[in-house]
Amino acid sequence: MDAFILSQYVLSGVVIGVIYSLMALGITFIYSIMKMINWGMGEFYMIGSYVQYALIATLLGPRRWYLALPLAMGAVFLLGLVVQRFLLRPMFVGGIERRDEYATIITIALMVLFRNLAIVLGGPNQYAPPDYARPMTLGTLPISGNRFVALVGTLVLLALFYLVIKKTWVGRALRGAAQNRVGIQTAGIDVLRLDMLAFGVGVALAAAAGALLAPDFLVYPENGAISTFKGFEIIVIGGLGSVLGSIVGGVLLGVIEALGSVFLSAAYKDLYGFLLLIALLVFRPTGLFGERERSV
Amino acid sequence: MIGRVRTALLAALLVIGLTAPALAQKPVKIGVLTPLSPPGDAAAGQFIVRGAKMGAEDVNARGGVLGGRKIELVVEDDAGTPEKGGAGFRKLASQDQAVAVVGQFHSSVMTAVQALAEQFKVPVFSTQASARQITEKHLNYTFRTHVIDPDRCQMWTRWVKERGFKRAALITENTDYGVGLVDETKKAFASMYPGAELKTIIFDRAVVDLTPQLLEIKNWKPDVLLNGGIGTPMYLIIKQAYDVGLHPAVPMLISYDAPARPEYWKTLGEKGTWASFIVYYHPTMKLTARGEAFRKKYMADFKEDPIYGALNAYSQVVLLADALNAAKSDNSDELVKALLAGKFEGWNGTISFSRGEGPYWQQWTPPMLVTQYTKPEMPFADVKIVYPTELKTGDWMAVPKR
Repeated sequence: MDAFILSQYVLSGVVIGVIYSLMALGITFIYSIMKMINWGMGEFYMIGSYVQYALIATLLGPRRWYLALPLAMGAVFLLGLVVQRFLLRPMFVGGIERRDEYATIITIALMVLFRNLAIVLGGPNQYAPPDYARPMTLGTLPISGNRFVALVGTLVLLALFYLVIKKTWVGRALRGAAQNRVGIQTAGIDVLRLDMLAFGVGVALAAAAGALLAPDFLVYPENGAISTFKGFEIIVIGGLGSVLGSIVGGVLLGVIEALGSVFLSAAYKDLYGFLLLIALLVFRPTGLFGERERSV
Repeated sequence: MIGRVRTALLAALLVIGLTAPALAQKPVKIGVLTPLSPPGDAAAGQFIVRGAKMGAEDVNARGGVLGGRKIELVVEDDAGTPEKGGAGFRKLASQDQAVAVVGQFHSSVMTAVQALAEQFKVPVFSTQASARQITEKHLNYTFRTHVIDPDRCQMWTRWVKERGFKRAALITENTDYGVGLVDETKKAFASMYPGAELKTIIFDRAVVDLTPQLLEIKNWKPDVLLNGGIGTPMYLIIKQAYDVGLHPAVPMLISYDAPARPEYWKTLGEKGTWASFIVYYHPTMKLTARGEAFRKKYMADFKEDPIYGALNAYSQVVLLADALNAAKSDNSDELVKALLAGKFEGWNGTISFSRGEGPYWQQWTPPMLVTQYTKPEMPFADVKIVYPTELKTGDWMAVPKR
C-alpha cells in the first residue's frame, strides 16, 4: 500500500475523530462541573440534528444552513437549562444521597423519552438537510463538503470553548467549580447556576455535532446512539475531565478505527477502539490526560 | 322444585343465547410483526402495515372468514432487532392469540421468531426477509412469499456479467442478510462468472462513517459497486460513496427495492441519480384481478403507486383468509394443511406452497427485475426495467462522462 492511500485513511480518521471530540467535550464538561454522566447525550445530538433539519426545511432554506446551526445550539441549550433546572437540580438541593444513581435514572429516562418523542413527532424515517457545500479534497482525502464544514465548525467551537474557559470570568468560575464545588461557594459564587450553564453548554455542543453531521449521517431517532458511544470511549481514552484529552482521544480513536477497519475487518470497527480503551485502562487508568482524584 | 329447574334452564338458555352470537362473531386475529422504528427499516414496515390493513378491510368487506368472523389485525413493532421481534411474537401468539403472523422484513428477526413460531404453533410469514436459511431449515410454521438470496445473488451476478463488469465490489452489513449476500455472491461468481474478481466488505450495521471502507473500494478500482445496505445504511453508502467520488462514476446496484419509495429522493437529492436497483414490482406489470383492485384502491387512497411491501402484505392477509376458509377452522395445524394444499390468488399470480429442496420449502418467489434512475427526482413509475433481457423496457445507461 502506498503512502498516498495510507494518508487518506489516516486523514479520514482524523477528521471524524475531531468531530466526535465535540461530543466527548460536552460529556466531559458536564461531568467536570456536575460530577454526573449524562447518558442522554446522544438524544441532545439527535434533537440538534432535527432542529437543524426543521429550520432549513421550513424557515431558513438550504442556503442559510449556517444560521440554523447557532439556532439549533441555542434551542438545545435552552432545553438543557430546563432539564437541569427541573430534573437534575433536585440532586443537589433535595438531600439526595445517591446522586450518581439519581442522575443515571433521570438521564436514561430522558433518553427513552426523547427518542420516542422523535418517532411520534417526526416519524421513524430518516431525513437529510441539503448539502452545506460541494464535495472537495482535503490534502489527499476526497471529502464531502458537509464533513469539511463540520470539521471547521468543530475547530471553531473548540477554540471558542477554550477561550471562554481560559479567558473569561465565567470560565474561571467554571474551572473553580470543577476543582472544588464547596470552595467556590465560599467565594460567593452560585454553583447551582453554574451547573445549569454547564449542562446547557454541554448539551449544546452535542447539538452542534448533530447539526453539523446531519447531511452526512442523516437525521433519525437513533442517530445519536453511535456518537454518544464514541464520546464515552473518547473521554475514557483522553481522560475524564480533560478538554485536551477529548480532542487527542477523538483523533486517536478515529485513526485507529479507520486503519483497523481497512487493514483488519470493517465488521469489527468498534472493537479496535475498545482494545485501545482496555489497554489504556490497564496501563494508564486515568486516560491520556486525566488526573488522579485527590481527596482531603 | 320443578319451578326452580325451569328457572335454571331458562337462565342457562338466556346465557347461551346471549353469548353464542358473540362467540360466533369473535374476530380472527392476524399479527403484523414488522419494523416500525429504528434501527429497523421503519419505512418498509409502514408500507407493510398499510398493505396488511387493506387486506383485512378487503376480506371484511367480503363478509370476513369462517362464516362471518372479521379479521382483526394486531400490529407489533419489531424495530428490526431479534430481541424486540421475539417479544412481539410472544405477545401476538400468547396474549393476542393470533392465528398467524405476517410482516417479517429483517432476516435476523425472522430467523429469531421462526423458532418461536414452531414453539407456539403459529404460522409466520416472511414478507420481505430473504435470507436462505429461513426456509432452508424446513420448519412447519414458516412460510415465505418473497425472493431468496441465492436467487438474488445469481441474478445480480448475471447482470454484472451481461454488462461486462470484471471487478465487482460488494459492501454490506453484518446481519444475516448481509453475511448471506456475501456467501451467495461468492458462490455465484465462482460458478457463473469465474473470470471476474469480487471484493467484499462487511461493516457493522451500527457504524455511520463508511468513508474508510468506501475509500478502500475506490482504491481497488471496481467496475461496479453492489450496495447491500438495508434502510439507513443503504442511504449512507450512497451518500458517502458520492462524497468520496465513487458514485456515480462507478455504477451502483442496490440490493432491494427501497429506492422505489418516495423518501428516496427526499433523503438523497441528486445523489440518488444513476443508481440501479432490484425491484419485485413495477407499475407496468400485469397483475391479477385481486392485485389490480388493490393497486387501484391504493392509488385512490394514497395518491401514489403501491410499494411491493404493501402488495405482498396485502396478499399474505387475503391468502390467509382464503386458507382459513378452506380449513374451516382457525386451528393452526388445519391452517398449515390448507396453506400447503391450496392455490391462492396473489397480487401477481397464483401462490402455492410446496415442500421443495433446500430453501424452496413453503416458498413462493415473485419476479426480480433491475431498474435504474437516470434523472434526479425521477418518479418510480417512469423507471425502465433494464434487466432481465426478456422483460426489459429500456436500456441500462452508463453515467455520461463529465
